[in-house]
Amino acid sequence: MGKKEVEKMTEVINEQVEKEKHIRGFGAMILSRTLDKKIITAQRQGRVGFYTPTMGQEAAQIGLSMALSKDDLLYEYYRDVPMMLHRGVPLEIVLNQVFGNRDDLAKGRQMPSHLVARDYNFMSVPSPVATNLPLAVGTAFAKVYRHEPGIVVASFGDGSSSTPDFHSAMNMAAVFNLPVLFFCENNGLAISLPVEKQTKTEIWKKAEAYGMAGFKADGNNMVEMYRVAQQAVDHVRSGKGPALLEARCFRMGPHSTSDDPSKYESDIVQDGSDRDPIVVTQNALKAMGLINDQLVDKVKNESIRIVNEKFDQQEKVPPPDPETMFQDVYGNETWIIKEERGEIL
Amino acid sequence: MNMVQAINSTLDMKMAADDSIILLGEDIGKDGGVFRVTDGLQGKYGQQRVIDTPLTELGIVGMAIGMAVYGLKPVPEIQFQDFIYTAMDQIINQMAKMRYRTAGKITVPLVLRTPYGGGIRGGLYHSQSGESYFVHTAGLTVVTPSNPYDAKGLLSASLDLGDPVIFLEPKKLYRFQKMEVPENDYKVEIGKARKAREGDSITIITYGSMVPTVLSAVEKNGVDADVIDLMTLSPLDIGTISTSVKKTGRVMIVHEAPRTLGMGAEISAMISERMIEYLYAPILRVTGPDTPFPYRLEDHYLPDEKRIMDAVDKLLKFR
Repeated sequence: MGKKEVEKMTEVINEQVEKEKHIRGFGAMILSRTLDKKIITAQRQGRVGFYTPTMGQEAAQIGLSMALSKDDLLYEYYRDVPMMLHRGVPLEIVLNQVFGNRDDLAKGRQMPSHLVARDYNFMSVPSPVATNLPLAVGTAFAKVYRHEPGIVVASFGDGSSSTPDFHSAMNMAAVFNLPVLFFCENNGLAISLPVEKQTKTEIWKKAEAYGMAGFKADGNNMVEMYRVAQQAVDHVRSGKGPALLEARCFRMGPHSTSDDPSKYESDIVQDGSDRDPIVVTQNALKAMGLINDQLVDKVKNESIRIVNEKFDQQEKVPPPDPETMFQDVYGNETWIIKEERGEIL
Repeated sequence: MNMVQAINSTLDMKMAADDSIILLGEDIGKDGGVFRVTDGLQGKYGQQRVIDTPLTELGIVGMAIGMAVYGLKPVPEIQFQDFIYTAMDQIINQMAKMRYRTAGKITVPLVLRTPYGGGIRGGLYHSQSGESYFVHTAGLTVVTPSNPYDAKGLLSASLDLGDPVIFLEPKKLYRFQKMEVPENDYKVEIGKARKAREGDSITIITYGSMVPTVLSAVEKNGVDADVIDLMTLSPLDIGTISTSVKKTGRVMIVHEAPRTLGMGAEISAMISERMIEYLYAPILRVTGPDTPFPYRLEDHYLPDEKRIMDAVDKLLKFR
């Protein structure tokens, strides 16, 4: 083959890779939505203690995830299950955490939605919002210091933009010119507070004040989200310093299963409606000729089958041994904890 | 050498041997820190390893945690312990809980250094003794030396522990005494107290800046006191405390920090629970009062010879 033919073949292959990437992303959206609905229903049935639904944020998260590589590290927040599934975290890991059972990687210690998946480059979730952001800066420093490839992503909601941790982390990442992508999933609500009352500016515009690049994306459309996320990721990866990427999306439900959004929000986006990111993305992919109704139905049915199967399977796993409560406080157990364990167990 | 020199030379020795050790804090580079503890280290190890940070305590601590979870061994400095409170969320909710919340998959090997306590005419915001805040938090190890030798040994042990250590430096003692400090690397065991003095009639439990104050008071007044320098505030060395209390039956605890829920409260409770039958008298506390730390009246705030001796007399006379 001549040079021209090689180029042509490369183009075709690239095109094929991109096509598969989109289809895979959409599949993860469907799987995530199916899992979300399953867990919410199970919570109402008393089979799950608590959950923070992710519905409405699938396209934003997965659109970004499509632009990342396996060397990239993520400081996720509690609503990032779609992104985790897309990056290959098995359903079992998610479900074990939700049940807080014996097989949970963190021994059932945290409320549901606070996952640990270090093997998949996720750095674990604390509940106090934005507290992961300064850590992302330190980890990015460590990566650069060790000449390791990959960037660090720190995700958070619109409410987090008000915290001192957001400010400190944005400022330090810029001052030290570190490869951190700050990813704001702006779903418009921080529990009950609308984003207009959270901050007077558009969140992505705050980037400029810190001396970093800012990007805004339609987080409701996976295709569009991926396009903008790729620009943001390329920017950070190229060594030009950190960036802030704001994805506009919806929270299609309550903050958590303990919350009643009808008290403060009259316009919740409904499942399957025109503004649902799955519908938006599905239409976009159809227009691109990448999927058809038959395929969508197949993926949906398969997702339901898998989720039901895994859910029933992991639900049977017993709770952790009470003994585990006393483990992992320190590397070397202290005499105090040993004594307290003896008193309690 | 004095305590400042002992800490400086320990950091130097450890950094030379281990390139994962990174110092970060406010004014610690060119300036060498406001107490000069890190003097000369940036010149020797460069700006990548001795980092002058923006003015953000939560940022310094959060960034240090982010380094520690990814293979580095950071030593953040908080310029004065009084300024640490914006970082308490990071300390309590991230640093102290990371090992637990990830079941040991992610750990935080770091040493947070910070000067604490009075003695330099620092007033409300340069004199606080906030050790109880840290001791109350599961997952933290809290140490405080009272002399240059222990400072080096404890710092070396802290850097090798593999878990977060709050390393409290009694600033009053930074240049208080010079002593022979071995050049080689040695460790003072974490979790072990030290007998600062042997005696049979009374046990005085203390730490940090109060150690020399207590020693001078009992020696000047010829008190036959067993003086324990805790060195590690969490976890406490109950063994050393028990042996002494069972021997003397009379106990007092001396610290600078305010009395309510200070270290004295916990130690007193531990002794009462375990060995009340050995006690001849109530356990007394000589501490800073439950007020903020005053500027001009610092000498009245800090426990002194008179207050220590009043308590000693009361304990010895109790029948």
